[in-house]
Amino acid sequence: MLLHVVNRSPATSRVYQQALAGMSPEDRLLLIEDGVQGALPQLVRYYAGLEGRLFALKEDLESRGLLGRCDASVQVVDVDGFVDLTEEAERTVSWY
Amino acid sequence: MATTAIYRYLAVDQDQYALDPEGYLVNMNEWSPEVAKALAEEEGITLTEEHWEILQVLRDFYARYEMAPAMRPLVKAVARTLGPEKGRSIHLMRLFPGSPAKVAARLAGLPKPTHCL
Amino acid sequence: MQEHHDDSDLLVILRHAPHGSSWLREGLDAALVAAAFGRRVSLLFMGEGVTALLRGQQLGPLGQKGTAATLEMLEMYDIETLLVEEQGLSRLGLSSDELMLEVECLSPSALARVLSGHRLVLTF
Repeated sequence: MLLHVVNRSPATSRVYQQALAGMSPEDRLLLIEDGVQGALPQLVRYYAGLEGRLFALKEDLESRGLLGRCDASVQVVDVDGFVDLTEEAERTVSWY
Repeated sequence: MATTAIYRYLAVDQDQYALDPEGYLVNMNEWSPEVAKALAEEEGITLTEEHWEILQVLRDFYARYEMAPAMRPLVKAVARTLGPEKGRSIHLMRLFPGSPAKVAARLAGLPKPTHCL
Repeated sequence: MQEHHDDSDLLVILRHAPHGSSWLREGLDAALVAAAFGRRVSLLFMGEGVTALLRGQQLGPLGQKGTAATLEMLEMYDIETLLVEEQGLSRLGLSSDELMLEVECLSPSALARVLSGHRLVLTF
């Protein structure tokens, strides 16, 4: 299982498509930096099919005022959670 | 990587050739067999037929790929052009002691190979 | 599906077009350095990175070198596994027979398998 990390918003960048193309059915996806916009209910549709495997970084949501606006299907993790995700994965692949 | 910084000059007959800090020709178009001989002298190398054919392989490599090769691709290019006996690192080490890819590129008038330390 | 690229050490993913930025060149440099040190390297062209493989590339308008000559050099560094995202090609209306080198086209599921199969993945 790989952890894929996306730091660009699906509203402005097609990097999310590359991450999705690279994902195996058990891989996880973590949204960080501007990527956390993808956790909004209006944008989360880009990540359809990732239920239970889609995460967003709390600190980046918080700093952008988006913490309370996340779609319910997204699991919010803090930096410690990020570390846990990294440890649980064989490797991490960054998409930027 | 090719550098344009002039560090010193190599004198060949009446002419001066700009060299970068590592002794590579700043302007690779200035290369000539005489320049190669003078550069080789600095390395304590007397160029023989076996040296020249390697320098030619290097110049052909650069003309085709726009880059000076690291050791492995140099060995491969030499093997293809001059045969497997010569396409061995020991042969290149004997002709261009130390770091053959770098020394031979310098004598061939190429920039320093990018992909080796 | 062949498994030969699964045993290479390093997968370098190239996602940028030639001339527009230095990303492509930097990715190729990383691949060449690894290969020069004896690592087995595979390249995966994704997204607009597939345009790096188009035939007939030229110097930039100011005479800037492109990357086509470097791609032709890959075989001299024993980089022979060239993978291309099938969707990246079709999105641009391209097909693999328009490319300058022999490549293996990857369906979405094959692409994901390739990523899982490498010990080290670098994205450029």
